[in-house]
Amino acid sequence: MSYLVHNYKAVPSGWRKILYLNWPLILLIVAVSMIGFLMLYSVAGGSIHPWVAPQVKRFGVGFVVMLMVAFVPIWFWRNIAGLAYFISLVLLIGVALFGQVGMGAQRWIDLGPIRIQPSELMKIALVMALAAYYDWLDISKVSRPLWVFLPVLMILVPMALVLKQPDLGTALLLALGGGAVMFMAGVSWIYFAVALAAGGGLVATVMLSRGTSWQLLKDYQFKRIDIFLNPALDPLGAGYHITQSKIALGSGGWAGRGYMQGTQSRLNFLPEKQTDFIFTTLAEELGFVGGASLLLLYILIVAFILMSAYNNRDRFGALLTLGIGMTFFLFFAVNMAMVMGLAPVVGVPLPLVSYGGTAMLVLLIGFGLVQSAHIHRPRRT
Amino acid sequence: MIRTPLRPLASILSARDKGENPDLIEAANIRQRMEARRDRDRQRAEIRLLVLALSFLAAFAVVGLRMGIMSASRPQEPKTERVARDILAQRADILDRNGAVLATNLVTNALYAQPPMMVDKPAAARGLAAIFPDMNADRLLAEFQSSRKFIWLRRKLSPEQQQKVYDIGEPGLLFGPREMRLYPNGRLAAQILGGTSFGRQGVKSAEIIGIAGVEHSFDRFLRDPANGGAPLRLSIDLTVQAVTRRVLAGGRKLLRAKGAAAVLMDAHTGEVVSMVSLPDFDPNKRPAPRAKGDPTDDPLFNLAAQGVFELGSVFKVFNAALALERGVATPQTMIDTKGPLKWAGFTIKDFHNLGPRLSLTDVIVESSNIGSANLARKIGVAPQQAFLKKLGLLKAVPLQLAEARQARPILPKRWSDLSAMTIAYGHGLAVSPLHLAAAYASVLNGGTRVTPTLLKVTTPPKPGPRVVSEKTSQALRKMLREVVLRGTASMGDVPGYDVGGKTGTANKPKPGGGYYQDRTVSTFASIFPARDPKYVLVVTLDEPVETSGPKPRRTAGWTAVPVAAEIIRRVAPLLGLRPAIDPAGTMEYTLSKY
Repeated sequence: MSYLVHNYKAVPSGWRKILYLNWPLILLIVAVSMIGFLMLYSVAGGSIHPWVAPQVKRFGVGFVVMLMVAFVPIWFWRNIAGLAYFISLVLLIGVALFGQVGMGAQRWIDLGPIRIQPSELMKIALVMALAAYYDWLDISKVSRPLWVFLPVLMILVPMALVLKQPDLGTALLLALGGGAVMFMAGVSWIYFAVALAAGGGLVATVMLSRGTSWQLLKDYQFKRIDIFLNPALDPLGAGYHITQSKIALGSGGWAGRGYMQGTQSRLNFLPEKQTDFIFTTLAEELGFVGGASLLLLYILIVAFILMSAYNNRDRFGALLTLGIGMTFFLFFAVNMAMVMGLAPVVGVPLPLVSYGGTAMLVLLIGFGLVQSAHIHRPRRT
Repeated sequence: MIRTPLRPLASILSARDKGENPDLIEAANIRQRMEARRDRDRQRAEIRLLVLALSFLAAFAVVGLRMGIMSASRPQEPKTERVARDILAQRADILDRNGAVLATNLVTNALYAQPPMMVDKPAAARGLAAIFPDMNADRLLAEFQSSRKFIWLRRKLSPEQQQKVYDIGEPGLLFGPREMRLYPNGRLAAQILGGTSFGRQGVKSAEIIGIAGVEHSFDRFLRDPANGGAPLRLSIDLTVQAVTRRVLAGGRKLLRAKGAAAVLMDAHTGEVVSMVSLPDFDPNKRPAPRAKGDPTDDPLFNLAAQGVFELGSVFKVFNAALALERGVATPQTMIDTKGPLKWAGFTIKDFHNLGPRLSLTDVIVESSNIGSANLARKIGVAPQQAFLKKLGLLKAVPLQLAEARQARPILPKRWSDLSAMTIAYGHGLAVSPLHLAAAYASVLNGGTRVTPTLLKVTTPPKPGPRVVSEKTSQALRKMLREVVLRGTASMGDVPGYDVGGKTGTANKPKPGGGYYQDRTVSTFASIFPARDPKYVLVVTLDEPVETSGPKPRRTAGWTAVPVAAEIIRRVAPLLGLRPAIDPAGTMEYTLSKY
C-alpha cells in the first residue's frame, strides 16, 4: 500500500491506460490465437464449422474481458483475491457434491445460462490468493513453518478436490502453479527439497498401491502410466493417442505436408484432434518449421511475462504475474509433453490454440491480470 | 537480524564535535539498513527468477529437441505383433471316402496399385473404371495421385478381369496370387464342410482359415505344411450323400417339414457315410449367421449333429434292450399295457388302446408307451441311467465337428421314477439324431459300443466295449424287423434289403412349457439289413405333415418312414449291398419280365 501513496501520480489513469498496456504481449496472444483459428479451420476440413466460429466468438468476448480486467487497478484485484479463492473453493465443493458428469468426470457446474468449470477458475484464483498472501506477509516470516503451512493448505485443498473429479492434469497445474508462487516469494529451499522428496515418496506409494485394496488411482490412470512408459503395449487402445500423434509428427517432417493437407487428422486417425491433440495437426501440416515457430511464440509470451514481473517492484503484482506466467507455461509444457509422448495423457489443452471456452477465458482473464499489474506497477517519480 | 545499536554513540559524539545533527545520522543509518535489506531480497528474488527462467528454458529446449527428433523420424505404423512366419498359402484338399474332391483351392489374383510406379495414372483410372463398373475413375485418380504408395483395389479377380487389367498395360497395377477355397459340390455337404474365410492378407498370398465344420476342426491339420499337402479323407461318400440329400429334400418338400436331418452310419466302424441337414447353404457363398429368429432354422445350423430333440418312441428300443439284458423280460414276456397309466399326477397314454397286455415284442411293434413305462419302473432309475450313459446318450457326441461337440443332451433335472418312465418312451431326454444313430449302431451291431467318426477308417478298428450281449442284440434286431413287417413302420420295407427300425413321434415342447399338439418331430431309426446290420440310418423331420388322408397325419410311420425307405432303396446298391432276393421270387420276376 505504501508505495501507492508516493507514486500515485505515476500510475496512468483513464483511457491513457491503453498506452501503457504490454502491447507486445497482446500481439503475441493474438498471433497464437490466430494460429489456433487456422488449425481449427484445417481440422474441420476447411470449414468454419463447427469449431472456428465459436472459438472466434469466445476469443472476442475473452479479449474484451481481458481489457476490462487490465483497466481495473491491481490493488482492487489484490483486495478481492481472498474472496475469489473462497468462491472458487465453494464452487469446487459444489461440483463435488452436485456437479454434472461428463466424459467420465465430474467437472462442470450448471449456473442457469452458463456452465463453468470451477477447477479452471481455481487456477487463477489460487495464484491470486497466494500472491496476496505473500504481499501481506512480512518478508521475514516467509520461511517460518506456520506461515509455510498455510499456503500449502491453500494449494492442497483445491488440489484434492480436483483430483477427486478426477482431473490429474489440473491438479498438477494447481500444485506447480502454487509452488512457483511460493518459490518466487522466497520460501526456503529446504521446504521445496522436502516437498520434492515427499512427492517422490507419494509417487512410489501410489505405484505400490496398484492392485491392492487401497489402490489410490483409478485403473485407467494406472493404465495411462503403463502406456506412457511403453505405448507399444496397446497401440490401438490406450496408447493410440501417443502413437498416432508420433506418426503425425513424423509424417510432417521438416516443412510439413502443407496447410490442410494432413491425412492423420483429416482421416480421423487422431482422437481429440480439435482439443488436446491439435498440435499434432499443426506439426503434420506445417512440419518442424511450423511447430518450432509456435514454440517460439510461446517462449516469447513467457519471456515477456517474466520481464514484466522482473520490472514490477510491487510484490503482489510481480508474484501474480509470475504465477500466471507459470500456469500458462504449464498448460503449454504439459500439453506438449503429452502430445510428444514425454508425459502421460492427462487432458490439458494447448493454451490459446485448442478448442474450448473455459480454458480460453481463464487464460485471457489471467493475461488481463498480468496487464493490470503491468499498467499499475509502481514507477519511480 | 542486525543487532548493531541504532544510536552508535561514538558517531553521535563525533558528529556533535563536528557540529552536525545526530538525528540525521540515525535516519541515514535506517535508510542504509533498509536499502541493504531490499538489495538482499532483490538479489534473492533475482536468483530465483533466474532459476525459474532457466527451468522454463530447459523445458522449452526439451520440447523443441523432441519435436525435431520426431519430425526427423520416419513415420512408422505401430505393430501389435511381429508376423513370425510367412502366411501359409497352401491348404490341403478335403476328399470323400472314395477320393472325390469336397474342398480344394483355386488360385485367383488380387489386384493392387503402386502409384509411384505408375506411368499414366489417368489412363489407368479410366481403364479400371471401364472393367469394374463399381469403380469411379475420378476417385481412383485422386487416390493414385495422393502420396500413397500402395493401394488394394480388388480382393479377387476372375481370369477375364485379370486379362483386361493386363491389357491396360500399366506397370503400376500389380497382381497378388491369392488362393480361394472352392467347394465343387456346392451344397452337398455344406454343414459338414463348414467354411473358410481370409485371415491375414499379404501381397503374395492370403491366409485361409477354417471357421466352421471340418474346415474348422481340422484347420491345423489342413494348414500344416509338414503333411506335405496330404488331403484330408472323410468318411463321407459323396454319391450316397448326394442321393440322401436329394431324397430328404424331396421328402421335406412333400411333407412341408421345417427342417430335416439324416444320418447314415456304418454300424460297426461308426463312420458317418452321409449326414444331411436341411435347409442348407452353399459353402462357396457362406451366409452370415442369422441375427434373429430361432437359431435352429438357420441354414448354418446342423440339425443332424446340433439339433437336440425329444425323439420319442425310438427310445423304447433301449428300454427293451435293458429289460432283456437284465433278465427282467424276454421277448415273449407279457407286459401290462392297461391304460391310462397314472403316476405321480402324470398320465401316460398310448396312441390308441392296445388292450390289457402285450408281449415285449409287441410293445415295440405296436409302440406302447404304457408297456415301456411299466417295464422301466421294474428296471429302476439307476440301471437306466447307467445304460444310457454307456450308450453315450448323456454327453455330447465326440465327433470331429465343433458343432457336434457343443450339442449336449438335455437331461431331466432330477432323474425320478417318472423321468425313467417317460424316458423309456423317449420323452424327458433330448438328444441329436447323431446320438441316436450311434446308440442304435452300438445296440444292434452285436452289442459293441460305436463311436461316430467323420474320418475314413482304413484299418478295421477294435470293437468297442460291449454294451449288450450278442443275444440281446439279435433279439432286438428281430423286433425291429417285425416293426417294419407288421408294426408302425410298415411303409419302411424295401424289398431285398431287410429293413428293420423303430418309429418315434414326439410333440414339440412349447417355449413356455407344455407341448404343441400339432407340431411334431418324427423320426425313423433304421438298420439294414436287419439280420446282420451294416448300416444305421436315422431320418428326422421337424414339423412334417402328411395331408393325403382326411385328417393331417404327423406320425413317423406316415412321414419319416417312407422318406427313410426311399433313401435305403436308393443308397443300398451304392453302398455295395446286394438285395437278398427269394430264389423263387427271382424266377417269377425274371420270367414275367422277359
